[in-house]
Amino acid sequence: MKKLSRRSALRGSFSVAATATIARPFLAHAAATTVSVWWPQGFVREEDVGFRAVVEGYEKASGNKVDFTLIPFAPLMQKIVGALTTGDVPDVLSHDTAPVTVIPQNAWNDKLVDLSDVVETQRSQYHPTALLASQYYNNATKKRRAYFAPFKTSVSPFHVWNSLVEKAGYKLSDAPKTWDAFWDFFKPMQKKLRDKGMRGVYALGLQPTTTGPADGNALFHYFLVAYGGNGIITPDGKPHLDDPQVKEAVIKALAFISTAYKEGYVPPGALSWNDADDNNAFHAKQMVMYLDGTISAEVALYHKKEEYADMVTLGLPLDNAGKQIPAQLGVQGPFIPKGAKNIEVAKEFIKYLIQPQVSNEYLKTGLGRWLPAMPDLVKTDPFWLDPKDQHVAAYAREGQLDPTVPTYPVFNPGYAEANAQQIWGTAEADVIREGLTPEAAADKALKRIGAILAKYPIEQS
Amino acid sequence: MDGAQVLDAAEPLATTTFTAARRGRRYWRGNLQGSEYAWAVAFVMPYAAVFLAFVVYPVIYGVWLGRSPALYEELASEPIYVRTVVNTVLYVVIGVNVKMFGALLLSGFFMRRGWWVKALLLIFVLPWAIPALPSFMSIHWMLNGQWGLLNNILWTLFGIDGPGWLETSRWLALGSVITSHIWKWMPFWTVILMAGRMAIPQELYEAADIDGATRLQRFNYVTFPLVANLYLVCTLLSTIFTLGDFNSVYFVSGGGPALSTHVLATLGIRNAFEVARPDLGVATVLSALPLMIPLVILLMRKLRTTEVQL
Repeated sequence: MKKLSRRSALRGSFSVAATATIARPFLAHAAATTVSVWWPQGFVREEDVGFRAVVEGYEKASGNKVDFTLIPFAPLMQKIVGALTTGDVPDVLSHDTAPVTVIPQNAWNDKLVDLSDVVETQRSQYHPTALLASQYYNNATKKRRAYFAPFKTSVSPFHVWNSLVEKAGYKLSDAPKTWDAFWDFFKPMQKKLRDKGMRGVYALGLQPTTTGPADGNALFHYFLVAYGGNGIITPDGKPHLDDPQVKEAVIKALAFISTAYKEGYVPPGALSWNDADDNNAFHAKQMVMYLDGTISAEVALYHKKEEYADMVTLGLPLDNAGKQIPAQLGVQGPFIPKGAKNIEVAKEFIKYLIQPQVSNEYLKTGLGRWLPAMPDLVKTDPFWLDPKDQHVAAYAREGQLDPTVPTYPVFNPGYAEANAQQIWGTAEADVIREGLTPEAAADKALKRIGAILAKYPIEQS
Repeated sequence: MDGAQVLDAAEPLATTTFTAARRGRRYWRGNLQGSEYAWAVAFVMPYAAVFLAFVVYPVIYGVWLGRSPALYEELASEPIYVRTVVNTVLYVVIGVNVKMFGALLLSGFFMRRGWWVKALLLIFVLPWAIPALPSFMSIHWMLNGQWGLLNNILWTLFGIDGPGWLETSRWLALGSVITSHIWKWMPFWTVILMAGRMAIPQELYEAADIDGATRLQRFNYVTFPLVANLYLVCTLLSTIFTLGDFNSVYFVSGGGPALSTHVLATLGIRNAFEVARPDLGVATVLSALPLMIPLVILLMRKLRTTEVQL
């Protein structure tokens, strides 16, 4: 055996380094047709199956490769934030909460690739709210552009255990049609059920939580819109925090949620619920009903037919004055960070994904947990409004046929920061735990939001 | 000055430079001769590279991210930050001291002879031996106010509706977190202090017995002086570990209820990834440095102490 000398060791190391340097251009060339993707792992296995089918279809159609990683919800957000901070990014990113968390601020800071040309390919098909929701303000260019390409949407419907309603001696068909009365309808059921031995049951699954990331904010905003406070931020990005109508809606929302909690109609743990805890509590039949985004509560029990059939999904009632309440439409889709190596291939992949038939098949394979971003798909494909699946039909009607509005971080990225700070959850906790009046908690929250939004002056939209 | 004089004057200078160079080389090379030095460098290089890449670079990058004074102004203006600092101090002071004092007492108990003591020790170290994540998540579920084990036991045995341990009161939740931390880490420090006790020469106890020392006197005048330094070093180490502890708080209370039980480590992660402000997250964690650095200096000084101080 040849003896390893210092010189030979150094020579060997040099050879390895030189080979790697010479080989790199070939590797880079090979990577030109490969697009790297970080994608959220599905809530149910079927969603992942749907995504794999999209990838397979694209690879077959284009001859390109998709190097994708499916990552669970929370770690994916950490990876995305880390990647955008360090600049070591993949070509395509997607996260269900990105449009209200990382996209607004990174679009503002000019860290994302403008996808207007990609979105343009399906402009005529898109739901107007979905199209509006893809446009974010860039503080470097002083313009609004599309920074993600919508392909799925969601709203918050009501989820109700019909068996609990009936056990309490009520009929869901008797539920009032207006907002406050609808919530109040369920309150007396709690006592009736407890009298029948269900010690730990609560009427309402409200989420006055500061943990988040999404459910507490979403719940508050549905109340805000129901009470007429949708003008808190207008599409030009301007806040209207002193508007008496907005302030009144904020106070009413805080008062309703905190009073229901203090009166004992909400599980005490709701104060610290994360986005999965409310689903778990509902599945454990700790509460009769709750309002929550997507139909994940139902889809999770899709294979347990008896329980799936026992749940009822309901769209929004009318507001207290009898007018239709627009649902806040969550719009989701992939985005491309600046610094991505294969922007053109990434755009091609996204263009493929957002095609109506491709995205529709993907979403259907995922059991309809997410809705399309194109109302024509809902109207023409019987899957979405089939009365045999009451959950999907009610959800699709609320999200794609009934009136909707975008979420506020679309209009002003400061609102994304306000959401992340869980300001509304904190305001609810101020009333519940610290004894503040809803008026005082509203003032405190609005002042805090005003301070955050002041960091994001929008000059032109 | 002629040429010879210039040469004469240059000679001592050259000799001094040469000697300094040799001294410098010896300083770097130590007693290594010829190729030994090159091999030594070759062996150290991988460690140095890893150290630079995974210790020096992240630390410098972190400090660079959190360099702006505006971040600290922003932090100080947030009520949650002030509450978090108070929580951190309470968590560290109560958690570390109760844990270490308990460990000191229990280390004496587990020094007793008998198979049942050894069996008990085996059970006692289990919380430390099992992974932190599942154990803290189990505690989180056990303390659930509606369906947790603890409240179910209270209801079944006494008909009492237990409190929401993690759900309504900051102090109950923080107390639960501190208790969980103590439960998890006390066994480890007990074993360390047992090792310290084992190193005490038996003759000292025999001499104390001959002098008629009681158990308390044996502890006061023999055991404690001899393990005092170890106890202090362990306390300092534990303080440093606990300041950076994320798991106990994150998985037991999650910072709740209403963000009232965050410590700097969990608030830093929250600011970095939930609020999506990595700079603010780093600043949150860096704000513990004024406490951390003196502790590390004190620890280093203590570790230099080689003699037992009776």
